[in-house]
Amino acid sequence: MISAGKKSTMELLREEVESLLRIDRLPHVWCPGCGIGITLNAFLRALIRAKIDPNKTVVVSGIGCTGRAAGYVNMDSFHTTHGRAIPFAVGIKFARPELNVVVFSGDGDLFAIGGNHFVNAARRNHDILVIAVNNFTYGMTGGQHGPTTPTGAYTTTTPYGNPDRPFNIPHLAISLGAPYVARWTTYHLMQLQNSIYTALHRKGFRVIEVISQCPTVYGRRNEMKSPLEMMEYFRKFSVRKDDATFDEMELTYNGRIVVGVFRDVQGIPTYEERYNDIIRRAQK
Amino acid sequence: MPQKNAPPKKRGTVKIMEERCKGCWYCVNYCPTKVLVVSPRLNSKGYHPPELKEEPPDKVCIACHLCELFCPDFALVVEELK
Amino acid sequence: MKPGYYFWSGDIAAAEGAIFAGCRFYAGYPITPSSEIAERMALRLPQVGGKFIEMEDEIGSIAAIIGASWTGEKVMTATSGPGISLMNENIGLAAMTEVPIVIVNAMRGAPSTGLPTLVGQGDLMQAKWGSHGSYEIISLYPDSVQETFDLMVDAFNYAEKYRVPVLFLIDGMLAHMYEKIYVPPEDAVERIERKRPTKPPGEQLIYEPDEDLIPPMPRIGEGYKIHASGLTHNEKGYPELTPQAQERLIRRLNDKIRKHAEEIWKVEEYRTDNADVIVVAMGSNARAVRTAVDEARKEGIKAGLLRPITIWPFPYKYIEKYAVDYIVAEINYGQIYHKVKEYASGNVELLPKMGGELHTPQEILHALRRYKK
Repeated sequence: MISAGKKSTMELLREEVESLLRIDRLPHVWCPGCGIGITLNAFLRALIRAKIDPNKTVVVSGIGCTGRAAGYVNMDSFHTTHGRAIPFAVGIKFARPELNVVVFSGDGDLFAIGGNHFVNAARRNHDILVIAVNNFTYGMTGGQHGPTTPTGAYTTTTPYGNPDRPFNIPHLAISLGAPYVARWTTYHLMQLQNSIYTALHRKGFRVIEVISQCPTVYGRRNEMKSPLEMMEYFRKFSVRKDDATFDEMELTYNGRIVVGVFRDVQGIPTYEERYNDIIRRAQK
Repeated sequence: MPQKNAPPKKRGTVKIMEERCKGCWYCVNYCPTKVLVVSPRLNSKGYHPPELKEEPPDKVCIACHLCELFCPDFALVVEELK
Repeated sequence: MKPGYYFWSGDIAAAEGAIFAGCRFYAGYPITPSSEIAERMALRLPQVGGKFIEMEDEIGSIAAIIGASWTGEKVMTATSGPGISLMNENIGLAAMTEVPIVIVNAMRGAPSTGLPTLVGQGDLMQAKWGSHGSYEIISLYPDSVQETFDLMVDAFNYAEKYRVPVLFLIDGMLAHMYEKIYVPPEDAVERIERKRPTKPPGEQLIYEPDEDLIPPMPRIGEGYKIHASGLTHNEKGYPELTPQAQERLIRRLNDKIRKHAEEIWKVEEYRTDNADVIVVAMGSNARAVRTAVDEARKEGIKAGLLRPITIWPFPYKYIEKYAVDYIVAEINYGQIYHKVKEYASGNVELLPKMGGELHTPQEILHALRRYKK
């Protein structure tokens, strides 16, 4: 409902996005067409819509292109060491459970060098939202293959095609018991935003994988030379299937991308909640 | 609830922070009414930002805000005309 | 803990000392000979409303305490040489982003897996130089269970005051050795808290140092919109990748410790007056030296013991103070020896042991006899 002279919801949202950015640092470091900015935008909008106090929200990033995200949010934000965003966030959340802790980092950071932390933090079910931007490559270092590069893809360290098998991130997260697991691409602007909005209202170790484009060092070696070609790939090859099997969630080289909310269960106690019991028992 | 009358057709305009633009042109490509075009101008980083080019009555900004969501560089602001 | 006498190991004293100092957050990963610190913390922290978490590895442990420190807690982790090797990158992060943390290293025979249950002093240089780059940390090393407890308060005070990682060294001997210990009343010691911002959010720059080169530290959740990054940053905390910003920041990170070194130095000088020869020894190894010095004095050898309790910043003025010959007795193949050599005016002899056992008083005495005039 718009009354004359008043700003619409969307206009107010855009204004608030601006206030949650460190605008004195813009333009940001990301390349033309990079999907990290789109994901950050979706996150900020979801946070505003969820009416979560930004002063009680912490964004923790690791290293790499997505690792720079923490540097642009006008909230308490930490750009940590490579792979260590999750344990850093665990420390914050465990010390101050009333804070809303978000890990915003990339696939190499979270699943290769930081894989052990992802696995164990998910197992313990820390109350943390992980936004994992997956651009299939190590962008910051020039486009080497990473833990999510599809088999057969060309990168600077797989000049004859990638012999590796990539992580199936939703499968991994679900197998570890993560209560909320979703995957979107950066083309799914509203689905992604709504998914983050939902996840912000859930508890426990929530994982949202965002398939994102890196035209500069990944796309151009894999038949998608421009930002638009990558975005069109996401548009044409994505299929929503919330009840996808683990096999269907597998990502293949320039193949189909199954997106959706693959898991959304409530009521699993978080580590922080379980530790409250420990404190009670210790003080009896 | 009785059905309301059809809402007035929304109109808007796009404010472009040209210095933030990096020329990916998602906005140009995905604008449903195709009112954003690549401008011939260059910003200080050497990118061509978009510009609004409406051709009323049909080819106008309908304030759908989609370009705001697509823009990876926080360069666009849609203002609704009332 | 009620004031009074207890019979504790060095590990238990380290844990209890930390709690006494105000530590309320511990993240760690078990490793011999420090595991009993984790066990004690798991038992005791929830009793005092603190938090204990066993992480998946040492890297996660130090990352977690750095995160927790930003919420305003006094935090600690404990490990041994292999764990410190894993933590070093994040020790650099804590130094660069100026986060108060205390890391206990129970030194064992090394390198690699070495002698897990036996004593070593091979990590003295690593404590200072473990991470990449030029930075300063503070390192303390007690020689008894009592001193372990007492010094833990200083460790936290230094970490908080200077916003710096403190590497608290003990060794495999001290970690597992039980001694009678006195716990003083709660109010018997001074506890220092980190400086808090004096300006409201919006006006306070996150890394704007005061006169003493130390910036006040806001907490997460207070609206200061902290940004901390391991990248070279400016006073706002924003990355600034220029030689000028690097010069300003790295110089200050080092100078804030170097300019306060004399406040940080703790050294035991035992029978060093009119000495001809002084043995430099640290940690539990100094205990044999004390006995040897007494024996040597009986034989007419003017021997003394200089025991750096503060290992880093190295208390070089104490070495410079004595125009004597030095023997450096350490459980490694020469580490602090090089620092002593740098500042001594007389001869400096290294009395090394590769690890697994301490020097015996006889070995020290044998070396001292060569200095009989």
